[in-house]
Amino acid sequence: MRKIIVVAVREYQAAVKTKAFIISILAMPVFMGGGIVVQTFMRDRVDTTDKKIAVLDQTGRLYDAVAEAARERNETGIFRGEGEDRKKIRPRFLIEQSEVTSDDPARTAFELSERVRNEQIFAFLIVGPDVVKPGDDPTRARVAYHSNTPTYDDFKNWAAGVLNRHTHQLRFQAVDLEPEVVQQATQRVPVANLGLVSLDEEGRITEAEESNEIANMLVPMGLMMLMFMVVMVAASPLMQSVVEEKMQRIAEVLLGSVTPFQLMLGKLLGIVGVSLTMATIYLVGAFFAIHQAGYGQFFPTHLVWWFVLFQAMAVLLYGSIFAAIGASVSDMKEAQNLMTPVMLVVIAPMFVWLNVVKEPLATSSVVMSLFPPATPMLMILRQAVPPGVPLWQPLLGVALVILTTMVCVFAAGRIFRVGILMQGKGANIGEMMRWVLRG
Amino acid sequence: MNKSVSIVDIETITKTFGQQTAVDSLSLSVPEGSIYGFIGPNGSGKTTTLRMIMRIYHPDPGPGRIRVLGEESFDAANDRIGYLPEERGLYKKMRVREILRFYAELKGLRDFKPAVDGWLDRLDLTDAANKKVEALSKGMAQKVQFISAVLAQPELVILDEPFTGLDPVNTDVLREAVLDLRRRGATVIFSTHDMGVAEKMCDFVFMIFKGRKVLDGTLESIQETYGQDTVRVSVEGNGYDPHTIEGVEKVTDFGRIQELRITPETDTQELLSALMRCGRVTHFELARPSLHDIFVRIAGPEAQEAADQTIPLEADDA
Repeated sequence: MRKIIVVAVREYQAAVKTKAFIISILAMPVFMGGGIVVQTFMRDRVDTTDKKIAVLDQTGRLYDAVAEAARERNETGIFRGEGEDRKKIRPRFLIEQSEVTSDDPARTAFELSERVRNEQIFAFLIVGPDVVKPGDDPTRARVAYHSNTPTYDDFKNWAAGVLNRHTHQLRFQAVDLEPEVVQQATQRVPVANLGLVSLDEEGRITEAEESNEIANMLVPMGLMMLMFMVVMVAASPLMQSVVEEKMQRIAEVLLGSVTPFQLMLGKLLGIVGVSLTMATIYLVGAFFAIHQAGYGQFFPTHLVWWFVLFQAMAVLLYGSIFAAIGASVSDMKEAQNLMTPVMLVVIAPMFVWLNVVKEPLATSSVVMSLFPPATPMLMILRQAVPPGVPLWQPLLGVALVILTTMVCVFAAGRIFRVGILMQGKGANIGEMMRWVLRG
Repeated sequence: MNKSVSIVDIETITKTFGQQTAVDSLSLSVPEGSIYGFIGPNGSGKTTTLRMIMRIYHPDPGPGRIRVLGEESFDAANDRIGYLPEERGLYKKMRVREILRFYAELKGLRDFKPAVDGWLDRLDLTDAANKKVEALSKGMAQKVQFISAVLAQPELVILDEPFTGLDPVNTDVLREAVLDLRRRGATVIFSTHDMGVAEKMCDFVFMIFKGRKVLDGTLESIQETYGQDTVRVSVEGNGYDPHTIEGVEKVTDFGRIQELRITPETDTQELLSALMRCGRVTHFELARPSLHDIFVRIAGPEAQEAADQTIPLEADDA
């Protein structure tokens, strides 16, 4: 046991003391947090130069409404802050009325296009003649927005809103309907997403809390992604270190002092330590970040121990497979080839997680989360979705994963023992199976 | 030296890798407190045998057995054995002191600091103690590896090619260290290609060729077996060609001196007169064959051919 710990401590230090580890620890929050910061930052850093847009209104009834809405927007809708802090964060839309210049509609559109190309205007809008009262020809009943910057859709979306609102009003008027009446009649019925009603300590019935759909989705996903990342960052270097020990003939020296099984177990415990270090850093970090942001109630405190347990087992499970691969190949390239099928299993939960979150109690979700290689990630995912899962399921999951991990560690130990001293050509799957069975 | 106690006792073990027999019904016995030299050409089975003694490899199932330090179990790596493998195995990114500490702890040595400092000083590595292994020269790395093998004061030290790649100064330092280990009571097994080193250092020489034992004993007893069939001569004269002289089997020309191997029935006095007829004899020495010579006789190209023909037959008989 002491030797296993000596190996584990070295493995842990070798992994944690590297720059790569510190960088990868920092990288995730930087990427995730950085993404949010950058987006927030960029949201207000849009191009605010005025956009001049020509509108050719063939109905003759909508231009004024568009121009009026634009004027109102330019005065009030494009600023943030008050008084001295008031800052322009959106471009003004300068609307210009355009006339039909030719009998040929295509000619008119071409001339307007030329103006866009010459940068006299930013884009133009052609309102079809039958927009208010559609006839048989659908092309006459549509609004065409032309520009050479198709990805900029702020104006198009804004104009669509204005035109639709106004067209509806015109249509209501045409059949003598009061717009207010119509609005009342067609108002949407809100459907609230609530939790369950329960009794408080004094026996009074409490009101159901409104569910936070985003939190209900984000928490399970976050836990699963965190586990995936921790497992990958902690377990995959194991393969590299085994290949190194094999290629540098370090294994031979080590095996003079420890048995192959002790060596592998020590290395596995080392990386479990690495993964727990990472998980602690992230969970504590997330706890404070979430509390700081005022969403403390969403932090899945009750799942922390399950998370740690499942994560440690996932690291053991995949770590033993990686170690066996490392021991049976002769260089990193061969190792990568053997990794591919294993990686598919590791990332399989990513393909199904959305379905599992939506129906955590469906039979398919239960079965998938009890498939041992996927259990750690899918079970924690299901546990994090209200109302959680019956206790027997994670317990059964743990039992199955422990069993699988033991089989994997045992098999990997045998492959490791033979492979670690084999030089030259790497082993194929058949040979590895033979080592497992024969010992 | 107590010859009755064997530290390593091997009886008829065989090790095959697939179709290839690396070690073929090998037996040997290493007396306690001796320096035991393994010689043999590349690929003859030296390292495989050493690894079996280390229990890194298990011999093929069969009647044979390996007893090391009185234990026959194949399960545990042994803290009483120190091992220097042929190819150096050190973590490149670790510092010298860290790696020695790691190996010491693996061997169960608790108070390792004095031992580490002592060895670093002795092998002139104190300045390199905080360097990373990747920054060391080959010779330095080899010395570090040597320290890691002997740090825990093992009773049995197994050194696979310890002197290869060392300069003469470091060779001397390391040889001195090996002899000192023996003085402290350790038994040392080492393999080498350097016949000079084997001759000078080893109490016992063991030669393995194509997986089979071909020599085993003290240098004297081995030389005894090969008899006094070697004559070193130096002759000045134009008509001198030792090949033409009757009774000369083989000539090894070193330039100034020729080494002649003679048939057992050749009379050395007649040889001398034959040589004198060829020219002026300035040197005439009856000698025992050197270990180098014996090695070449066994494993040289002629012997290889002969062995290729005979060994499979013997194997079939067995």
